[in-house]
Amino acid sequence: MARMSQQPTDGKIVVDGIDKRFRSESGVVEALRDVNFAVTEGEFVCIIGASGAGKTTLFRIIAGLEAATEGTIWLDGEPTEGPGTDRGMVFQEYGLFPWRTVLKNVTFGLEQRALDKQARLERAHEMIDLVGLDGFEDSYPKELSGGMKQRVGIARALAVDPEILLMDEPFGSVDAQTKGRLHEELLDIWAETSKTVLFVTHDVDEAVTLADRVVVLTGSPGSVHEVVDIDLDRPRSRTDDAFADYEQQLRDAIE
Amino acid sequence: MSIDTTTESESGLFADEELLESGRRQRLLRGTIGTAVFLVIWQVSATPVPTYLLPTPLEVAQAFVVELTAPTTFILPLLGTEVTLTRMIVGLINSLYHYIPGLFVGGAAGIAFGIALGWSQLLDDAITPVQRVLRPIPPLAWIAFAIVWLGVNHQGAAFIVGIGAFWINFYNAYAGVKSVPESTKEVAASLGVESDLTMIRKVIVPKASPEIMTGIRTSIGQSWMIVVAAELFGAPGVGFQIINAAQNLALDVSVAYMFVISIVFLISDGIFQRVESRVLVWRE
Repeated sequence: MARMSQQPTDGKIVVDGIDKRFRSESGVVEALRDVNFAVTEGEFVCIIGASGAGKTTLFRIIAGLEAATEGTIWLDGEPTEGPGTDRGMVFQEYGLFPWRTVLKNVTFGLEQRALDKQARLERAHEMIDLVGLDGFEDSYPKELSGGMKQRVGIARALAVDPEILLMDEPFGSVDAQTKGRLHEELLDIWAETSKTVLFVTHDVDEAVTLADRVVVLTGSPGSVHEVVDIDLDRPRSRTDDAFADYEQQLRDAIE
Repeated sequence: MSIDTTTESESGLFADEELLESGRRQRLLRGTIGTAVFLVIWQVSATPVPTYLLPTPLEVAQAFVVELTAPTTFILPLLGTEVTLTRMIVGLINSLYHYIPGLFVGGAAGIAFGIALGWSQLLDDAITPVQRVLRPIPPLAWIAFAIVWLGVNHQGAAFIVGIGAFWINFYNAYAGVKSVPESTKEVAASLGVESDLTMIRKVIVPKASPEIMTGIRTSIGQSWMIVVAAELFGAPGVGFQIINAAQNLALDVSVAYMFVISIVFLISDGIFQRVESRVLVWRE
């Protein structure tokens, strides 16, 4: 399956020559062609692109939820296969377990490990604190707002201490105001945990707000059109000229 | 009037509760009137007719009390000890002796098969043709096997009840497991769930539990229908009492036993409803 037995370049995660073809009723559909890029440790990278450019497909391949037709995803120099706790996932539709309370959602991943209950609870409370949900431990997902649900999603993904946090349009279902607050919080969490973050979005503004670098996917089949370094100090202000310039640059790149 | 409303709304929650309470009282009143009208129409139309065609509510009530208090001896199945109980209680115990095992064994098997076939595409493909052919067969049609294998007794009746409970629970559990979205399984996999057993136990069953609970609740009710039908062929119990009394033209006794089934159903359904709402407190 792997074209090379060695990781081609340095990086925490290396996306190496990924092709994806689906068989459909109308024949073979090519979703991705020769996608290559690398993410260094502790980096915050956004993947951006118009709908149909294969963002979600690429996310699912990196996450191990789908197999690539060609190519390899390398993590710490090892080829990945299938999903694993080394890649924590956060989804747009939260994917919370509705039958579990906030606390039990967060402990879910920890229950799959040989950890005593005390350690599990300690870790879970720490994560719930981190996302600012203390006091809601015993609430069920149905009692939470969209923003709170996604905080639970993040806490749950971080609880198992993954190498990488993979986020697929995580704030796509929350209102603009909540989104802004969640951006700040996510950057705080990122700073505090020094995780490597790979964040899929179609929102240019969101990408410039968050990312160290932005990978722009274009075309059909999708491939990497450009990688843009966002060289701005944080916290970033949307009203900055430089911010607007980056936005324009990304918008142009997508089209 | 307007002054009244303001003072009421000032007390906020209290006013709401009062409104709710008065609504409840009104509905209770309507229900009472409706029931009274029903009983009066029944009494009036049954009075000129002989009891063996249509008993009056009063005759039914009398028969109910007689059956409830008439002493009779009863040999406890399995134990063999003889005890003195009343006819109605004995009928009920007899029915429960095939209702409970049939419901539990058939229901548990149905849930287990439903989960297995809902989970495994291999089993689903292999068993579905047979399942499709067998499912439309009414439980009572299996009576021939019940009689030749087990006889006209508790086991035979339990077998019939079990078949009914099996299909209801099978289908609900199967549909529940099938409806678990792929994304839920993917989240669990990303959080370290590797074995099928863990996935089923920690994700599939809880997610499908509303459907599974619906199956259990439906089968609790449906199994009583089957109990009565199964007793048609002579197994002892409440259903047998209905038929036996009817054959003796004691329709007042028949109707009294019909009410026994109704009462037992209402009690068991009420209890289960409480269990269900506690188990599914998380449900949206």
